[in-house]
Amino acid sequence: MLSSRWRLPFLIGALITMVALLAMACGGGEEKKEGATPTKAAGGEKAPADQQVLIVQQNEPEYFDPHRSNFEQDISIEKMLFRGLYQLVPAEDGGVKVEPAMADGEPQVSGNVYTIKLKSGLKWSDGQPLIAQHYADGILRSCSPDVASPYQYILGASILGIEGCDEYFGALGSAEEPKSPTPEELKTLRDAVGVKAVDDTTLEVTLLQPKSTFTTIMSLWSAFPARQDIIDKYGEKWTDPGNIVVNGPYTMTEFVPKDHVTLEPNPNWALEPKPTIQKLTIKFIDDTSVAFRAYQTGEIDIVNFPESEIPTVKADPKLNEAYLLEGTGRMDAVEMQLKDPTLSDFNVRLAISRAIDRKTLNDVVYNGSSIPATYWLVQGIPGYQGNEPFESIIGYDPEAAKKALADAGYPDGQGFPDVKLLMRDDAVQRSLAEFLQNQWKTVLNVNIGLEFVDAKTRSSRFNSQDFQLYRGGWQIDYPDPENPLIGLFDTGGGNNMYNCSDPDIDAKLKAAATETNEAARIKLLQDAETLIVTKLCGVAPITQLARVYLVNTKIGGLTPNGAIDSGLPGNWGVEHWFVKAQ
Amino acid sequence: MEAQTELAETGWELPTRERSLWSDAFYRLTRNRLAMGGLAVLLVVGAIAIASGYVEDLRRYHPYQDQDYQHLQEGPSGRHFFGTDNLGRDNWSRVLTGMGISIEIGLGTQAFVLLFGLAVGAAAALGGRISDNLLMRLTDITYAFPDLLFIILMRSVLSERHWPLLENPRLQVMLAIAMVNWTTLARLVRGQMLSLAERDYVVAARALGASNRRIVFRHMLPNTLGPVIVAVTFGIPIAIFAEAALGFIGFGLPPPTASLGRLVSDGYTYIQVNTWVVAFPAGAIAMLMLCFTFLGDGLRDALDPRLR
Amino acid sequence: MTGYVVRRVLWLVPVLWAVATITFILMHAVPGGPFTQEKPLPQSIINALNARYNLNEPLWKQYVLYLWHILHLDLGLSFRGDRDVAELIRAGFFVTVQLGFLGFLVAAVLGLTLGVFSALNQNGPMDYIGVFFATVGASLPNFVLAAFLIIIFAVKLGWFDVLGWGGPTQIGDALDPGAWHLKKMVLPIIAVAALPAAYIARVTRASMLEVLSQDYIRTAHAKGLANYVVILRHAIKNAMIPVLTIMGPTAAVLVTGSFIIETTFAIPGVGRAFVDAVLRRDYAMIMGSTLFYTAIVAFANLVVDVLYAVVDPRIRYR
Repeated sequence: MLSSRWRLPFLIGALITMVALLAMACGGGEEKKEGATPTKAAGGEKAPADQQVLIVQQNEPEYFDPHRSNFEQDISIEKMLFRGLYQLVPAEDGGVKVEPAMADGEPQVSGNVYTIKLKSGLKWSDGQPLIAQHYADGILRSCSPDVASPYQYILGASILGIEGCDEYFGALGSAEEPKSPTPEELKTLRDAVGVKAVDDTTLEVTLLQPKSTFTTIMSLWSAFPARQDIIDKYGEKWTDPGNIVVNGPYTMTEFVPKDHVTLEPNPNWALEPKPTIQKLTIKFIDDTSVAFRAYQTGEIDIVNFPESEIPTVKADPKLNEAYLLEGTGRMDAVEMQLKDPTLSDFNVRLAISRAIDRKTLNDVVYNGSSIPATYWLVQGIPGYQGNEPFESIIGYDPEAAKKALADAGYPDGQGFPDVKLLMRDDAVQRSLAEFLQNQWKTVLNVNIGLEFVDAKTRSSRFNSQDFQLYRGGWQIDYPDPENPLIGLFDTGGGNNMYNCSDPDIDAKLKAAATETNEAARIKLLQDAETLIVTKLCGVAPITQLARVYLVNTKIGGLTPNGAIDSGLPGNWGVEHWFVKAQ
Repeated sequence: MEAQTELAETGWELPTRERSLWSDAFYRLTRNRLAMGGLAVLLVVGAIAIASGYVEDLRRYHPYQDQDYQHLQEGPSGRHFFGTDNLGRDNWSRVLTGMGISIEIGLGTQAFVLLFGLAVGAAAALGGRISDNLLMRLTDITYAFPDLLFIILMRSVLSERHWPLLENPRLQVMLAIAMVNWTTLARLVRGQMLSLAERDYVVAARALGASNRRIVFRHMLPNTLGPVIVAVTFGIPIAIFAEAALGFIGFGLPPPTASLGRLVSDGYTYIQVNTWVVAFPAGAIAMLMLCFTFLGDGLRDALDPRLR
Repeated sequence: MTGYVVRRVLWLVPVLWAVATITFILMHAVPGGPFTQEKPLPQSIINALNARYNLNEPLWKQYVLYLWHILHLDLGLSFRGDRDVAELIRAGFFVTVQLGFLGFLVAAVLGLTLGVFSALNQNGPMDYIGVFFATVGASLPNFVLAAFLIIIFAVKLGWFDVLGWGGPTQIGDALDPGAWHLKKMVLPIIAVAALPAAYIARVTRASMLEVLSQDYIRTAHAKGLANYVVILRHAIKNAMIPVLTIMGPTAAVLVTGSFIIETTFAIPGVGRAFVDAVLRRDYAMIMGSTLFYTAIVAFANLVVDVLYAVVDPRIRYR
């Protein structure tokens, strides 16, 4: 054996070697793939600045497959990789408008049949022509039971209503009653879906009834085109860099899970302008404070930072220049379970709503960045009514709140039963909860308890309706007033977890779903909003949320998204970005 | 030690006057200035923390309810000794209350750790080979099991079940932290007892016909307690830290209860806007940590017969 | 000794099995599943997703299926994007082990040096400085320390970068000098090493002090040996025994990754991936990471126990 004096160093060396070996032994296969070779952008008349941008996105995407995506972080990147027949662009008035993208002009409507003509000469990033069949395949994927798209319902009968989409999707039955269709039956169902490529440049979509939201929905990710041959060839891995084929301004050249994704221009991008930024790196950092500090050290160019740091940003001239406040399509509200005996009394709900000083809440919790709100249809979409009709009815008024509580049978909070507010445990939510709790204590003299759980537990309890008060809300999927209403407030609606059940509201929503006159439809939806808010049928709106970003001033051509914000400003038109000459 | 009393009973007289382990230790502990200092600070702080729950003037503001929206994120001032936080609450009162809660969590957790660790360690050492093996594998499993996962899962599961005693979130947090920290103590107790079993006076006691129970309780346990006390003392700041880390991910004590750990992880969000809101609770944690460390050091020096 | 090692390795199997079972039970006892979200998915979609991932089967069947796959070394697919769990763990671990290992080295070197010098200058200025740093390092929760480091050294002074990990993220890059960016690595390593360094320093100091008071040291001095020889050849070696005892678990803790530091610096390591998986109820990832973690810790424990026995001849294992 080694003499005693060498034992120790030997052992330490052995330990080190073992750990090193362990690390190396765990090594193996490799992820870094060579992607499409980057090409110089066509529109390079901008000064020779380094056309590279590094962005931080809060969450890592689950998929890059637009027909399987569910979350805004996925969709945000997919918008840069793919483009639909139509696209949404921010309008000058702060709203949103729909423009033809790959389509050549507006669709021809004849009864329930919509005919869209594609532009000519469209190509995919691998050089193959982009034809109408690809768009048909995309829609079929969204309706397919194998793909299990979370957004299938947008193409289904409850929203757009493409013929046969729901039947095809339901082909495998449910967990309780599974069905096993034969391949022939599946093919029949698939062929019965109302989308057909008449020829290479003509697409025909058959709806159950005409809808004015047609082009809006055709611009969403569920209707992005699909290359069935690529998907069949690579299976699950078709979105890996090197395999993926896109029709958008950028293609993906590198993906390191949990870290970042790199995008480079697609040489076959059909529309104008051609992308100027040569390399777009998107890093995933879930803690916005961490991202904020990385911006300050100059390591990143665009970041969504926490509202708590707004004073820091405003105090620093350089940061202040880069500050961007972007309204979002998200409403925040205190949701109230109408099945709960205490909350089923309208006066109790009124007291709760009128005791909240929304303006101070905005100042204290969000540093003034959001919009205090008593409305439900967000600013930026048609039908927005603003605070005016509702402020005096459910807005802040301590005296009225106390009176309402007394009318409900709890004068000065006497005998008020145990009610809890269910929250998620993170920094802003804590502040919000503690603020609200304090408001209800000082104005109404009631002790509303706070329950903090993690996100999944909270969602699970929400979906099983196991809550009394819940801080919830709704983020619009597309800029139309039907989106935050239908399904949320109709009796038995899929998202109606607070059990709002009012025959007047049901009537309005039903009428709006079938109304073909656009102005009348919007009016019906506004009426529904008025009923919902004034009756506090499940929700008491508090604020319309905004996001605050820092966008390095060297980046030009970035138009904020407004109501269609999905976590990254200007991502609807990323081909317009450029880095300014230094 | 009790061994002497036994000796005395048999009529033997020892030539010199010996101190028992405990009075000797106590003597040495009180001579250790750092340890005494730490203990004094702890007692004072504990007293203030408890008193502030009853004496309004000491606390000056309510830690959760006095939200003054005109004075947000202020630094120290005459009105607010430690400044205010993002909802205008007074930091001084929050830190005071927080210290009380943190000490409570630390002590409570260690009480559970003592219970589990002592029971399992002693059982392993005394129960024979098979039970030793089984219990040591149990500690292996607990030790290897990812702490965080266990805590998250335990808290999530318990918060749903509404079981009577376990519903109290403080108890849940204490249990959760204790469940992942008891293995070190168990190993320590087992190791001590195993080595003590071979010591001369134990062999002698056995030879004299003492029952097992007597040997364990009169001879082995008291000699084990030395390192155990030290380990438990050092474990208190570790428990306080653990609660802070839990609060950081969102599984600590639910708001509005504010332990020091919760104050730090809340204030962490505002660290660039108002550093005071983190500095004071972090300083308080550091101070508690120091005190417990000095105390632990002192106890270890006092109880270890090998050091001069 | 060999018998002991073999027996310990064999025990690993039931330990892993027990951990897997407990994890499985707890995982499914917690409310919410991988597809639970605030805007609930229509039931038809949830059905389709559950069918895809076999979540409709009765629990015992899922359990058996999972164990069967483990035996074939198949850890399954993560719900997030259907990526291979083994691949994710491997990639994450590669980064985490770099951070952990470098952190361990720094902590060991710093702690040992500080401890030895403090002991040699007991009650002198060096001692007080040493004890001060050691206690400060151990008194702040590491995320607070990290935040202060970032704000002072990166944001205000601009000396270091804070985003991501400065070493290679893929194994193929390990030998490429361009993949190592020291500027990014300094702060996370300091944040990770501070507490262990402080702890090692304290234990080293105490142990050195005890050794220095021993008779054989006095004998060595009496024999006329130079001071540094006495220290290097006799004192340090013997003082190492208790230090080694704590270095083992320290190394294990560091190598398995600190979720907090990884989050603070946006490092794509396995600690962060794991907590993320728990919060998202990504069952396959949770199980895979737990088993992996357990294996590492059990192995590290074994290594330490063996080292301890080899270094200290008084210890004998039955």
